[in-house]
Amino acid sequence: MITVTLGTNNTPATFEKIKTVLQLLNNLHLRVNDALVIRDGELLTPDRHLRPGDHVAIRPVVSRG
Amino acid sequence: MKCKRCGETAAVKLPSHHAGFCPDCFELFFKRQVETAIRRHAMIAPGEKVLVAVSGGKDSLALMRVLSDLGHDVAGLHVHLGIPDSSDPVCARTEAYCRENGFALHVLRMAELGLAIPKVKDAVHRPICAVCGKIKRHYFNRFAYENGYAALATGHNLDDETARLFANVLRWDEAYLGGQGPSLPAEGRFVRKIKPLYRLTEFETAAYCFLKGIDHWKAACPYSGGASFTSHKRLLADLEYTSPGQKTAFYEAFLAKGRQHFRGEGNDAGPVLQPCARCGYPSSAEVCGVCRIRSLVEKAGA
Repeated sequence: MITVTLGTNNTPATFEKIKTVLQLLNNLHLRVNDALVIRDGELLTPDRHLRPGDHVAIRPVVSRG
Repeated sequence: MKCKRCGETAAVKLPSHHAGFCPDCFELFFKRQVETAIRRHAMIAPGEKVLVAVSGGKDSLALMRVLSDLGHDVAGLHVHLGIPDSSDPVCARTEAYCRENGFALHVLRMAELGLAIPKVKDAVHRPICAVCGKIKRHYFNRFAYENGYAALATGHNLDDETARLFANVLRWDEAYLGGQGPSLPAEGRFVRKIKPLYRLTEFETAAYCFLKGIDHWKAACPYSGGASFTSHKRLLADLEYTSPGQKTAFYEAFLAKGRQHFRGEGNDAGPVLQPCARCGYPSSAEVCGVCRIRSLVEKAGA
């Protein structure tokens, strides 16, 4: 199970059967450069593998005014 | 994915450049994009003082950082808008960042100038984002002019610029198309306006901030209700996704081939600028828009 925090929302969501960052982004309906994907202080490219127990932060990059 | 330059694990994938970069090589890429923008558009001459318009968001803080790292003489100006629960923490965060990094920062408080945005919002029956933008542009330029800065730098990025270009093309707005570009020359009491980040996307500035540890403000303005051009940005992002590099191609081709055809358009029919009777800054009417807004606020509060 992967735990994901999206944006400034402090309530994390969990995902099963997610193997890569690209799968996670697709699941969240985000394109490759719509958001930063961060694990343990490291930026991840879409091809990186995710492991059960990972905590990932998704930080959308589009300015909102 | 491996870094295109050094072969280490990549932290950033950039489909538009057919590349991935590790943190160190991405920083080099980022700085080179800014250097290229400055050089190609003669944005900053050696030794010139540059004022950076600093909102506290990712683009303006990234701009401050990279211009300083490239050796330019920069100072920031933050406009405190007087919006409850927003302006104070944004200003505090911006001041803290600049203090910790040794950047000079000036703060203009709109409440002290009779233009606190909540009062403006109540007094002016127009979209507040447009009015707020007009006030900020006026004071950024005015501060730069009165304090001897050669250029005013803003954090507009490739996404901002292509969305604006797309909107101008949809309307075939000849005057705006003729005036759009990453560098506008100084004229009279207008200082030179420059956009050194215009070759970099929002993703790239966000990644740069993360990798450089820049703690920028992330919440939206409570009055914004969604930034302008958001739908255009979404359309262009779809295009970029299917054809990486299209945003850069669209904008650079406009600069190289399109803009020249609109130069001078609208100037003949447009109003002649004259000094505002109250503040002395260029205005298309006897009294400039900002002084008129201030009058409306005073009238509403009387």
